[in-house]
Amino acid sequence: MGSNKIFQVLINEIRLTIPELADHPIARNDAMADLGVNSMERGEILIATLEAINLEIPMTQLHGPSNLGELADLIHAKSAQQ
Amino acid sequence: MPNQHNNNPPLAVTGIGAACGAGFGKAALKGALFGSRNLFSYLERPGRQSGASEAPFIGIELPEAPPTILPQRIDRTVGLSGRVAVSVLDEAWHEANLDGIDPKRIGLIVGGAGLNSREQAIAATSYSERPAFIPPRYGHVFLDTDVGAICTSAFPIRGFCRTVGAASASGLVATLQAMQAVRCGQVDVCIALGALQDLSLFDLQSMRAMGAMGSERYSAAPRKASRPMSQDHDGFIYGEACAALVIERLDTKRQHYGILAGGAQSVDGNRGPEPNSEAQQKVAHTALQQAGLQAGDIDYVNGHATGTPLGDKTELETYKELGLNKAWINTTKSILGHGLSSAGAIELAAVFLQMREGQLHPCNNIDPALDPTLKWVGSAPQPHKIQNALKFSFGFGGINTALVLKAPSSEDLA
Repeated sequence: MGSNKIFQVLINEIRLTIPELADHPIARNDAMADLGVNSMERGEILIATLEAINLEIPMTQLHGPSNLGELADLIHAKSAQQ
Repeated sequence: MPNQHNNNPPLAVTGIGAACGAGFGKAALKGALFGSRNLFSYLERPGRQSGASEAPFIGIELPEAPPTILPQRIDRTVGLSGRVAVSVLDEAWHEANLDGIDPKRIGLIVGGAGLNSREQAIAATSYSERPAFIPPRYGHVFLDTDVGAICTSAFPIRGFCRTVGAASASGLVATLQAMQAVRCGQVDVCIALGALQDLSLFDLQSMRAMGAMGSERYSAAPRKASRPMSQDHDGFIYGEACAALVIERLDTKRQHYGILAGGAQSVDGNRGPEPNSEAQQKVAHTALQQAGLQAGDIDYVNGHATGTPLGDKTELETYKELGLNKAWINTTKSILGHGLSSAGAIELAAVFLQMREGQLHPCNNIDPALDPTLKWVGSAPQPHKIQNALKFSFGFGGINTALVLKAPSSEDLA
């Protein structure tokens, strides 16, 4: 699965977790914090995304990205290693 | 301790919220208490179905909760007990008109423990094969404190929030603690909420096995199964419920339901379900003393009265030893079932509604009465203006509580 598809999965999980963002445009250079996602919700979104693409890695390996595009790239790189 | 009660400011209940099998709101509760519809049936919620060789569980389940006032992002993760609590609190809050009160002067006490066991069991089964994907929120929602946390995220309550577990006396213990918090000045308003006990199959099966919950005797006739204080009783029958009571110092210019005149809790050292009449009498005496009343002044008793053979027998001994022979008595669990954590709160709500209505609700299935010498309300509502009521709640683990309530006086609102 490519980075763009993973980005789409992330958007889907963000909108399931925060229905208030259903109609809010979300771009690759948006950070979750800027969208008003709190730390608990961020964890929920990450775990749900990993489940959706069936990737089992520790959450600590997803630290670092500064926006959703970078996060999608990182998840893509981790899934390619599996 | 003569005149001790004079040093305590009178406390009044200024708002009530309720949910029971008949629906959400006090109107539904009133309909259940005074109407003729029998609410008992078979339990149907996911996670409560007995095995093929076992009789189905009987009880009462709430209809679907109305939409909450919670933001969607919180609403989607809220379980049954929290959802119902928000609805019930909303009703009590608005009746007591708390919007203008300083949030730091408002407290919340949630009564109940093990509140979400059905949903936890379902989630545990669902994720048993994929633990890596357990949603992180379960790290805080598994705690009973989540119900209070949901409530205080939705309402401007910033004094304190705590959760007290006292088994089936939780609703009454929450009330006693709320009274204490107002009396000592910690807050000006304290809400006592008896939370919905969302029982799992595991809970139901084990309480049936221990002989506390009704057996298979009435499995073909669910409407006859809940029969507290009847010779044919066979254990308690579950009924989902939740209630909230807003407690403040009495302001005679404000509308209120009645006075919380005295209350007491004790522990008698039984780890399990065994009742103790002596300890029950003791809390009643303490509550009466605080209220400045004698047992003979009580004209209405709302007991614990679950329908377990030993529990009913022991409670009857308590009534007789206290000399409550002249008071009207009815059995709210014969109509609403036993809500466990919520029982004390929903039954207190029932007492105040009866006080305001000037009539007492009937008893279902009491005939033949275990003790016909007492003054039971029969199968029809009984006109009666409650002046002084005595309410009991008892809980597994040797917990005994009693509360004395007085009707609003004619000088109030004068």
